[in-house]
Amino acid sequence: MADLTLTGVCKSFGKLEVIRNVDLQIEDGEFVVFVGPSGCGKSTLLRCISGLEDITGGTLTIGGERMNDVPAAKRGVAMVFQSYALYPHLRVRENMGFGLKVRKVAKPEIERRVDEAARTLKLDSLLDRFPRELSGGQRQRVAIGRAIVGNPEVFLFDEPLSNLDAELRVHMRAEISGLHKRLGNTMIYVTHDQIEAMTLADKIVVLRDGMVEQIGSPRDLYYRPVNTFVAQFIGSPKMNLFDASGLPANILDTARPAPRAARAGLRPEDIRVLPSADGPVTGRVVNNEYTGAGSLLHLDLEGLGQCLAIYSGGDAPDEGAHVSVEFDRSRLYWFDEQERNVAIG
Amino acid sequence: MTRFQSPFVRVCWYLSLAILAVPFVFPFLWMLSGAVKSQTEIFAPTLTLLPETWHWENYAEVFSYQPFARQYFNSLYIACVVTAGTLFISSLAGYALARIRFAGSGLLLLLLISALMMPEEVTIIPNFFLMKWLGLMNTHMPLILLPMFGSQGVMATFLMRQYFTALPPELEEAARMDGLSRFGIFWKVALPLSRPALAAVGIITFLFSWNLFLEPLVFLSDIELFTLPLALSNFTDAYGLPLWHLQMAATSLAVVPILVVYIAAQRQIVESFALSGVKG
Repeated sequence: MADLTLTGVCKSFGKLEVIRNVDLQIEDGEFVVFVGPSGCGKSTLLRCISGLEDITGGTLTIGGERMNDVPAAKRGVAMVFQSYALYPHLRVRENMGFGLKVRKVAKPEIERRVDEAARTLKLDSLLDRFPRELSGGQRQRVAIGRAIVGNPEVFLFDEPLSNLDAELRVHMRAEISGLHKRLGNTMIYVTHDQIEAMTLADKIVVLRDGMVEQIGSPRDLYYRPVNTFVAQFIGSPKMNLFDASGLPANILDTARPAPRAARAGLRPEDIRVLPSADGPVTGRVVNNEYTGAGSLLHLDLEGLGQCLAIYSGGDAPDEGAHVSVEFDRSRLYWFDEQERNVAIG
Repeated sequence: MTRFQSPFVRVCWYLSLAILAVPFVFPFLWMLSGAVKSQTEIFAPTLTLLPETWHWENYAEVFSYQPFARQYFNSLYIACVVTAGTLFISSLAGYALARIRFAGSGLLLLLLISALMMPEEVTIIPNFFLMKWLGLMNTHMPLILLPMFGSQGVMATFLMRQYFTALPPELEEAARMDGLSRFGIFWKVALPLSRPALAAVGIITFLFSWNLFLEPLVFLSDIELFTLPLALSNFTDAYGLPLWHLQMAATSLAVVPILVVYIAAQRQIVESFALSGVKG
């Protein structure tokens, strides 16, 4: 069993508190993604789990055993680094078998495990190359292979795809997802890319300033964000936020759940843009970003300010065009003065 | 030079480089030429690069004039011991200064670097008394200990430290995850990756020790213990005037190990100097 429990975990660098009182339960075989903006502490939390950083408060258990003071190599975890961290002086085969060699595993067993991992990751033909002779995607596969051969209970990925180009990233994302399905191990993945988080995760942990903002499935986070931060962080393009006072009376009267709902959130795909400027909410197109499948319109709405809308029809209105918009009232999110989702409480 | 230059421009470049190389190459050729000339011919009014009569016996005389083979061996083994010792100490110290966080490491580095500012002429007298007190006068120990722990050792430590600082920390972290101890990381990851820096430090140290003159002059009095630089200055006649033909012959023999090392590791040496410059 490789379930993980973090109870009141804290990490400080001197007086700087980077992780603050994190409670988290990760089930065996779960794919958990830590997301959050730069500097939120997601990588530090991962490093605390790996053992590369000491925990300054709280408890970490893996498979029921307390791991706070256990060295990194003895926690049963393997890490895939953002920069791959392959040993440049060793060939792919030696890189993958290095950890086993250090642990004094018998040579035939090392060879068997390396060959098996290489087959899984389609690295068979690259085993005798040096890392410098590999492409970015191949290096990443070797880094994953190095993690696999140790048969860890938990895989840790620290932004493993951020050095790859967009196309390769999509491909590797699918490979990692496939790998999780095949191996069934617990995986913890750090990214700042919420698309990666949404597509890979069973469970997403949203972090801000070293604290957990929300934990839930991708759907949970998308449809039931606990506050404006999560609402805006999950989903691309990000959710629009309006002051409730600026909304037309008919929306306020029919859709607002309670007077304390001070702000309304609406995703760009739930705003319908009409070419004529005679609706209840009107505005001007500030910018039109053509994305192929549609256009992302930057609108300046009267009384509501700037917002984003996805226009998926034919020709989108040009910059400067006057338009009106219709809000899908059933998809409105309401937040109170403290930015908490009113529906969740 | 770019790849697409016309042949004329290329020839001009090569000519210019050849002319610029003359001041560097000529003394070397003059040394080789003087080594097989007679003393008289060296000072002949007409300057000739090739001798009228080839005096190969100069080389034999070098060995009969003083215990040159023994002195050659002295230089060689001292340079090898100093190089090996310096590589060992500077790599360990450089790694510690670059990678291990400990109280006062910054201050220690500052102190080390400040030691580089001290000319060895200033420290030679205290070192003389120290070695005398230790009973190491007229032995090779000062020639081994002073470069290893003196300014050359500091320079080597600084170079190694700069190189280790530039190694990606993720490599060490990966090694930690693989189960290596701190020394294991140094030995199996950091040290193999620092081969260019080790080559640079090795060659600089070897040259330094090989060319050392002041220390042998101060600490050695027995001719059997002399090292090459001191031995070279000892080819004099009864009036103390230099026997140039013997000095040239001996010098041409003295450069052989340096040339061998340089030719064998030319690419790595050039790379390592470039690398230490960039990374430092």
